[in-house]
Parts: sequence; structure tokens; C-alpha cells
Amino acid sequence: MGKGRRVGIIGVGCSKFGIRDELTVQELAFEGVKEALEDAGVTREDIELSVAGTAGTRSYELMPAVPINEYCGFAGRGPIRVEAACATGSAAVYTAYTSVKAGIADLAIAIGFEKMNEVDTPTSLAVGGRSGSYLWEFHQYGTTFPGYYAMHASAHMARYGTTDKQLALVAVKNHRNAAKNPKAQFQKEISLEKAVGSRYVAYPLRLFDCSAITDGSSAAVIASEEKIKELGIDNAVWIEGVGYSSDTANMPKREDYAGLKATVEASRMAYEMAGIEGPVKDLDVVALHDCFTIAEIMAYEDLGFCKKGEGGKFIENGDSDFGGKIPVNTFGGLKAKGHPLGATGVAMFYEIVKQLREEAKDLQVDLKTYKGLTHNIGGTGHFGWVFVLGV
Amino acid sequence: MGDEKFKMESRTFVLKHELPVSRVEKYWKGLEEGKIYGTVCNSCGAKFSPPQADCSYCYSSDMEWVEIGGEGEIEAFTQLYTYPQGFDFVEKPYVIAVARFGDFKVMGWFEGSGDALPTIGQKVKAQTKQDESGVWKIYFTPM
Repeated sequence: MGKGRRVGIIGVGCSKFGIRDELTVQELAFEGVKEALEDAGVTREDIELSVAGTAGTRSYELMPAVPINEYCGFAGRGPIRVEAACATGSAAVYTAYTSVKAGIADLAIAIGFEKMNEVDTPTSLAVGGRSGSYLWEFHQYGTTFPGYYAMHASAHMARYGTTDKQLALVAVKNHRNAAKNPKAQFQKEISLEKAVGSRYVAYPLRLFDCSAITDGSSAAVIASEEKIKELGIDNAVWIEGVGYSSDTANMPKREDYAGLKATVEASRMAYEMAGIEGPVKDLDVVALHDCFTIAEIMAYEDLGFCKKGEGGKFIENGDSDFGGKIPVNTFGGLKAKGHPLGATGVAMFYEIVKQLREEAKDLQVDLKTYKGLTHNIGGTGHFGWVFVLGV
Repeated sequence: MGDEKFKMESRTFVLKHELPVSRVEKYWKGLEEGKIYGTVCNSCGAKFSPPQADCSYCYSSDMEWVEIGGEGEIEAFTQLYTYPQGFDFVEKPYVIAVARFGDFKVMGWFEGSGDALPTIGQKVKAQTKQDESGVWKIYFTPM
């Protein structure tokens, strides 16, 4: 649990993910916030501090924290705007969590949101590519985020023999799970043949190796143990461990490409704080950062679910599926539920909280340890966040 | 047509930045002379590619420019089939790679024979030239 008082999550909300071009960013954020407040059984007046997480730039509203905060009725109580690329949502939860842990607030809300479809695809690719290291990479070489993960994939495949088919199996699993998730962008299964036969986006990654361009919002209401008792809440999910790390912005400054050091470091920090000795044994369910299929395979290894280089076999053996060693991305993952950057990290809390409260319906896992994990990466390990949750 | 959502367009907003590169001018001028430079910290010996004017380790700003070259080895690569805004001049999928040259690594575009992709571990040499948009950069070709 770490030092200081216990902090728990008492309510979660998540908008429908997808192309939400009927909504302004305020209306989109409202959707996730409303569900979270209702889930917690509190009102907007109860919230003492709001944290607004969005990567930004793709929406016409360039500094959207105050507009969404006002729209959700929190004017005067925050917002703190945070940005950590695709890990923005975790940074938002962390900021709310530490504020409560420190005793500055007893009840805070973390809001993650992203509108990504207000610009065309070349613009969206440029925003992503320019967010690595503009001067040294995008300016000269036209890097994109599919391209960055593809470079990691090329190294992993060459060193460990990871195959196209193993990558595609991640997509097949996550689409199969998303088919049962009403919040998912793609509620449909795909065949292995379709995935391995799809066109290249960034060699060796194909269309079905990539998450899509998604709009969405998610929110988590975070409270101190005293507040939870005062409210008479008996289904809080506790934040038992947190870990964070980061890595270089420049690819040439990385030591190695077959894994993400930020995942290794963040997870070890979170495991130590939460007393996790063996993640496969100690965790019931995991939401990990599968923005691309190779990212899920590298994360199995870097989170310590299997040895380095055995991630391909891990998916092939069904070890990350329902009934396997450790069910991963039971909600469909970023790959098929969607990846609205600022919302993604908070939405991982939404999914793990639902699992630990046994409210995941058709996607419920069997609970033994009643502990779950979120793993949220910004960029290609530019940011790394891991949380351990428990009841 | 009844299902069409009501939408409007924003006013046009052009974002074009001036790049403040005076402290790393030697790198950019070097590309025009066919040279690739990194920096080495004269205080602690840390090596930087891309180059830095300040040392992130010992905080010294006493840096020396060193040339990067010779035989490189590909460590990672991709070929992009979808192009970002700003690369509209590209006519066919381009290959981005990271190659190691001794103690330094650099990013570049790979140009093999025909449409051949590089392989991890392949030996390459680096040269510099302008792309169709006029930007100088590094290109790798097989040894």
C-alpha cells in the first residue's frame, strides 16, 4: 500500500468508444463523468478536485481542460490538466490518487478524454509522429506511431523468431473479447486468416496489428479510506501499488528495441509496493497496453508473465486467454475496444474495477486473489505506468 | 440523407514553427557536406546521437563534435505504407531504420537495391542527401 492512508476507487465510468463525431469534447467527457458519479453514488458537488487528462491537438479545442471541467460542473475545483501521450489517463489517476493520499482532498475525480477524429488520418499520423522527437526524427524521416512500434517488432521478430501469426493471434483474442463489450469500438470477431492477410500499415505490422483512431472518455472517482467509510461504501477497489518510469524520446538513444524498459521498471516498482511476488500467480486479470499487437507480446515479457522472448508462445498457448495462466485484455484491449489516448489509462481502471467487483458480465474472469493490474504506456515506452488494484 | 449528422468546419489554422537550431548548427551544416556528427561531453565522456549542446549526465556544456561513419549495422526498421501530413511528396513506401556505428546510433532512410527491405544485422554505410522536400537527412545503403 505504500506510505500514508489507503486510497480507493469508488466509481468508474466510460463512454462508448468509437467515432463519436456527433459530440463535442465537453459532451464526450460528460458521458464518462456522469456514469462515474452515478456509479460512486456521489454528486458533482461532492468532488473536491478534478484532474483532466488529454493528449490533445487532434481536437479543435486546444486547451480543453477548463471547457470540459466547466461542462461537468466542476468549475472552481480543479482542473489540473495532465499529458503523458498515450499514458495520459494513468497520469491523471496518479495525480488524483496522490492528492487524496496526501490529504489535500478526500474525494477527487480523474477524467481522461480524447477526440481524435476531428482531423484526417494524415494529420492524426503527423500528430503522433511529431510527438516522439520532432526535430531529430519526424522532421527528417516522417516517423509515425505505427512505424515506431513496427521498428520494435522488427527487432523482436529477428531476435526471438516471433511470427506474423503470433502477432495476429493477439488481435484475434482481443477482437473476440471486444465482441462482448458494449463499450467497444469493434464489437466483432476477426479470423486469423483475415488478420494475417490484411495490408501492411508499417511493415511488419498489418492493419489488424494496429489499434484504430478512437474517440472516448472515462472517469474514476477516487476517495480516502475515511471518506469511503463515511459514505458507507463497501465495494471500493483499493490502489495497492503504483509504478512509473520513462525512457528516451529518441530511438537511437535506446539500448535495445526488443522490449520496453519503462514497463520493466514501472512494474517492478508497483509489484514491490503491492507485495506481488509472482504476477501470474498473484493477479487474476490484467489490462495491458496493446496499442499494437507487438506491444502486447513485449508486455507479457516485460511485466514478467513469461521469459524474455517467449511472448509469442504465450499468446499461441492461450496463456493470456480466459482459462489461461492470466487473462489479459478481457475487455478487448486497445486493439479492439479502442485507444482514445487520454481516456485509455482511465478506461483500464474502469475495466479492472468492473472485474474485481464481479460486474464484467459475459467477460467476467474467475477471481482467486482479487487483484488486477493496469499497464499503460505513452509512446513506445516514453512513459510507463503500472497500477495494482485489489479488493 | 436523413441520417447525415449536422457538422461544420473550423476556420483554417496553419501551424508552422521556426526551428531554434543554432546550438546544433554543425549537425545540420554537416549533413550538407556529407558528414554526420554526434557530440561527446569533454567533462564526463558521455556520447550523444542525435547531438546535444548540454550533457544530461554531468550538466557540463563543454561538448566536442565528432564524426560518425564507417560500417553500420541495422538494429531496427520499418516500411511505412501510410504517410503523415508533411510527407505528401513521398511516392512509394519508405523505409526508416536505426543503425549502430560504433558507439553511436543514428536514424535514416534505407535504400536497398530495388524494393529490397533491410534485415536486422545487415551492414550498411551512411550518406547524406536532400529529399524531394529539400530537407537534408541520412540515407543507409547496403555495404
